[in-house]
Amino acid sequence: MIYYLVIFAAGFAGSFHCIGMCGGFACALGRDPRGGTATAGRHLLYNVGRLTTYCFLGGLAGALGQVVSTAHGVSVPGPLDAAQRILAIVAGFLMIAMALQFFSLFHGFHRAAIGFGGNTLALSIRSLLATRSRAAPIALGVFNGFLPCPLVYAFAAQAGSTAAPLPGFLVMLAFGLGTFPAMLMMGGIGRLLAPAWRQRGVWLAGGFILLLGLVTIGRGVLPFATHEDHAGHASNVGHPG
Amino acid sequence: MTVAGDRSCSHCRLPIGLRAMQRRLEGEERAFCCYGCCIAFQVKIGRPEESNAAWLLIRLGVGAFLSMNVMLISLLLYVEAFSGADAKMLPWIQLVLWLFATPALVILGAPYVRETWAHAVEGRVTSSALVVLGVGAAYAYSLFASIEGGRQVYFDTATMVLMLFTIGNYLEAASRARAARDLEPLLAAENESATVVEGEGETRRPVRDICAGMLVRVRPSERIPVDGVVLEGQSNTDEAVITGESRQVAKSVGSTVIAGSINLDGPLLIQSSGSGTATRWAQICRSVRDALSQRSPTQRLADRVVGISVPLVLILGGLSVVYWAQSMPFDRALLIGLAVLVVACPCAVGLAAPMATSLGIGRLARCGCLVRDPAALEALARARLIAFDKTGTLTSGRSRLVGIESEGADEQEALARAAGLERHSEHGLARAILDAAASWGLEPVMTRDVRAVPGRGIRGNADGQPVAAGNSALMKELGWPLAPGLSERARVLEASGHSVIHVGWAGAVHAVLSLDDLALPEARSTIEALRGLGVHVALLTGDLAHTALRVGAVTGIKDIQAGLTPEAKRAALDRYRQDYGSVTMVGDGLNDGPVLAEADVGIAVGSATDLARETATLVLPLGGLWMLPWVISVARMVRRTILTNLMWAFGYNLIALTLAVLGLLQPVLAAVIMASSSLLLVVNSLRLSRLPDPVPDSVRPPDAEPDSHRHGTDFPPMVGPVMVRG
Repeated sequence: MIYYLVIFAAGFAGSFHCIGMCGGFACALGRDPRGGTATAGRHLLYNVGRLTTYCFLGGLAGALGQVVSTAHGVSVPGPLDAAQRILAIVAGFLMIAMALQFFSLFHGFHRAAIGFGGNTLALSIRSLLATRSRAAPIALGVFNGFLPCPLVYAFAAQAGSTAAPLPGFLVMLAFGLGTFPAMLMMGGIGRLLAPAWRQRGVWLAGGFILLLGLVTIGRGVLPFATHEDHAGHASNVGHPG
Repeated sequence: MTVAGDRSCSHCRLPIGLRAMQRRLEGEERAFCCYGCCIAFQVKIGRPEESNAAWLLIRLGVGAFLSMNVMLISLLLYVEAFSGADAKMLPWIQLVLWLFATPALVILGAPYVRETWAHAVEGRVTSSALVVLGVGAAYAYSLFASIEGGRQVYFDTATMVLMLFTIGNYLEAASRARAARDLEPLLAAENESATVVEGEGETRRPVRDICAGMLVRVRPSERIPVDGVVLEGQSNTDEAVITGESRQVAKSVGSTVIAGSINLDGPLLIQSSGSGTATRWAQICRSVRDALSQRSPTQRLADRVVGISVPLVLILGGLSVVYWAQSMPFDRALLIGLAVLVVACPCAVGLAAPMATSLGIGRLARCGCLVRDPAALEALARARLIAFDKTGTLTSGRSRLVGIESEGADEQEALARAAGLERHSEHGLARAILDAAASWGLEPVMTRDVRAVPGRGIRGNADGQPVAAGNSALMKELGWPLAPGLSERARVLEASGHSVIHVGWAGAVHAVLSLDDLALPEARSTIEALRGLGVHVALLTGDLAHTALRVGAVTGIKDIQAGLTPEAKRAALDRYRQDYGSVTMVGDGLNDGPVLAEADVGIAVGSATDLARETATLVLPLGGLWMLPWVISVARMVRRTILTNLMWAFGYNLIALTLAVLGLLQPVLAAVIMASSSLLLVVNSLRLSRLPDPVPDSVRPPDAEPDSHRHGTDFPPMVGPVMVRG
């Protein structure tokens, strides 16, 4: 449980980064002329859309991790097997690479990510923002969730390292919920936050991810590392169908 | 072509194949080659306020939202997150799944159902039918199972397959638009708008409305819309699309500019010299548009295969359900059937050729090389023989002074005197002599009382002495003696196909000038490059054998047939066709039109004729002979891309289909592989847009090397007669 709380906290800290990047969308979503409740509804829909995408990515990453690690041997509870260790190390390094971006140190990843499909997505989002339809916010949220973002990638990597769909889903759920408060706030008071504070928040988020990345690598490297508490479910997961 | 099926997609500009869609968008009838292009186009052009595009995206987003939730809940079901809780939960969870899945299916599936229906009305079964049938079956079964109280439902499979297909289509169309971006300037031509200056004001008008005399302002980095003369401003332009050479050409007041070239540096004010639709640029654009809307033979074959395969796959899917239902529960058998339908969707096969072809055509057109028929590109890639016409193709088509034989007189004096006479002449050879004198830095000798002697030459008076230039008959008439050595050399030169001019003054013939239609400086390296590509090169000419042999010696062509009438040329092509399969003929497009039309691929170099009446299927820019090897490499790259695409598409379909029939492929995975396979083809084809520009290696553009650099008696072409004599 503590593990997910940490992720939630990281998501919360990271949401200062979101304010910088995606906050613009939240602001653009703006107020609904039909009143406060409608405005809240819009923003809730937008964030639920975003959360769904994150959870989906988390589940997907977890499933992918599972496929990778079971391909190299049956996953058993207790000490981690080699494949899972490698997975943890790779995920850890990915997270660190992402974290470094928050300190403006390492930009290759971001550019690579934006190059692929980023344009198409941005184009889609732009035309969605302009519509007044009631369903638009949810679609906006869904697309927004897929926007190339180092924060999301970092946590997706973390989700992948759990090597099972359910904990992967939970990781991203915790992260997504963590970003809720700040993003919901953006609907109302968004622009009041000073840029200096935002910068501090971004560094904080970077620190969190860096730490998580190191811990994840540690799981792969340290001799007595075991599964987290989620490993209990993870081990007997089978995908019928 | 005006066949209904042969139009190009509004979005990706590929020919519309079997899966055509018609939509009325913002008052205009649009046609698309697939659903993905339809979405992508609307997103691209859609005006934000109440546009179809936004509505489409909303549907896509909401559909994604619903199907991701279905997927997540199903995921939790699979990992038995609910198993600890009461088993009575299951029907409720299934209800929730149904509630999410049904609108998702309606939202995402409607376009496919509509497409299937439209095609069914026309009596065709296309790949959208596979999707509709497979997804519909999975949904119907799941609905049944949840009512019956079954444990397994497949709402997630149904929605995810649809989702992946839709997204796959969208992404594919979006990346295909990159190909269209290359072609965009070529397709827009007359519809592009230009800034017309009228009095004080400036208005934007379509290029087709521009007439001669109008003033047009062209800003830096804009395309020059019309042919004209610069009135104001200074700039460099890039005329690659017309001349094929990507070097900057400086323009200032008084320079002529060509429509289609790009204004690089400074603003220009241009006075149009003709109508906007009559420029070569506009012709090129029309020609490219025509070419793009035609389907190549490979494409036709692929379309036919797709047409046949859809019903086959339907049968195969049905059979696998029946077969597997005997040995396993019906729902598992049904999933296998679904996987078969999804994975065998032959989208990739239909995509293999058109994208590569249009990228190739666009790549060539950007360097001024026009392909008028995609089939020509494929034929050229296979060509093992290229026959050249001589005059105007391998040679410049106009004579130049190649040698001066003199006896008892200075060569320069002879040339200066000849130039003094020829300055008054209209004869074709006169130009060559004046050019030679100018390049040697000689001042033509002042000559008076000049008169032409028809069929003989020209005579006059200079410095109080009679001067004459012409053939030996003229000299005989004048009674001027010709030294025996000089006479012998003149005879040899004449016999070897040179034009010979005797120059005499003060009562005697002092020099003999020889003129020849020289091989282009780039001819030799071009022929060598062609040979390097494994192509046999032949020379077919109506000219004298001696002349042909000399040009052959200079350019390195050994297979020479001279003295051919146009009929004989055609017969020669027929003979070559028997030995080499197909023949490619290169000419100047002026006097060899019928022969070019006769060849499998007719290539005209620098054709000045109206492109619409051009008989060649491929047209190189003026002076663009050196580009021929590059054009062939591009054609080969296009063909290779098409072949790898087809191999991949078929190979993939066969392997995946086998796996699916054996029950080894889950439907969702099948949909992922299907979508990624089409994307892979698109990416593979897009490599063509990065082909390098043609490099004129060790070749200088014609006329860049004036005669003055190689002077004296060391005229390289003089090797010719020597070889003939030997």
